[in-house]
Amino acid sequence: MGVQVSPLTKIICLSGVLALGFLLIILSCALFHNYYPLFDVLIFLLAPLPNALFGKSDGFSSHGEFLNESGRNGEDFGHFMTGLLVSSGILLPIVFYHSNLINHESALMTVSGGLIIYLCIVFFTWFFNGSWDTEDDNLFGY
Amino acid sequence: MDTSHERLFRLPFKLPTSVSAKKVCVYVAGALYGAGLWSFLDCVLYSKHANGSDLHISFIDWVPMLCSVLGMAIVSSIEKNRLLQDALSSGTFTGSQSTAWQARVVLFLGFSLLASGISGSLVVLIVKFLLKDYTSYPTLGMGINNVLANLAILLSCTMLWIGQNVEDEYNYSLTL
Repeated sequence: MGVQVSPLTKIICLSGVLALGFLLIILSCALFHNYYPLFDVLIFLLAPLPNALFGKSDGFSSHGEFLNESGRNGEDFGHFMTGLLVSSGILLPIVFYHSNLINHESALMTVSGGLIIYLCIVFFTWFFNGSWDTEDDNLFGY
Repeated sequence: MDTSHERLFRLPFKLPTSVSAKKVCVYVAGALYGAGLWSFLDCVLYSKHANGSDLHISFIDWVPMLCSVLGMAIVSSIEKNRLLQDALSSGTFTGSQSTAWQARVVLFLGFSLLASGISGSLVVLIVKFLLKDYTSYPTLGMGINNVLANLAILLSCTMLWIGQNVEDEYNYSLTL
């Protein structure tokens, strides 16, 4: 994070991009009168949740992490669920398109909108958590 | 252990540290699991909504997937440190012998469920699709997707196993 951007600008930009993502998904539903793609919003809103729940003692920022077995299992579960949710969020519109539930414009808009929403949430947490934790992350060669 | 490997290549390419490799393994395992799940759901939804033929997905097609999911749940829920410790100490602790046997039996059950899942999906593909001359693609795709789903779940289980074992090596080298 070499560039210094004021937090207000970050918040405004991110909220604009988030609104763009929601716009894409809602448009993909409303243009074709077919509201199946709304499930994708649900999946992508759930996707950052496991890391947020289990990743609080992430990496080595807290001591006593090495031998704490249950904490690391929870973290593994969080990573697994994140991968599962992100991949299913990408695959859901494709599967719906393949089984003729939605058409291909709708599928494209849903995938891009969902990815925009997810990346917004990830960047948001990264911007506002990263200011304290970047040193630790760089130190341990993540 | 990690610092000795760090300048192995001339290119500015660093071998991933075992923590980040573990993370990537677990993420990839989750993504593969999702891919398997959605591949299977694809064949089910395709059979319901966009099917041009008279062949439909029935409960028979669900059985291999259920086997795979159950097997992966069993294999992933075994505490692998216990198994590793028993393999290392090789029965000097007589108290943990019974748990080691339990772990072996349950692990064997899980792996055989995974293997029966993938072979069952192959059997369904051959008996239900290929032998009845449903060999053109949009119909055959349902059977192929079923096989791919089971394969993806097997690969996901493998990645998860690899990730957890990487972590164990890392802990081992740290605690000693």
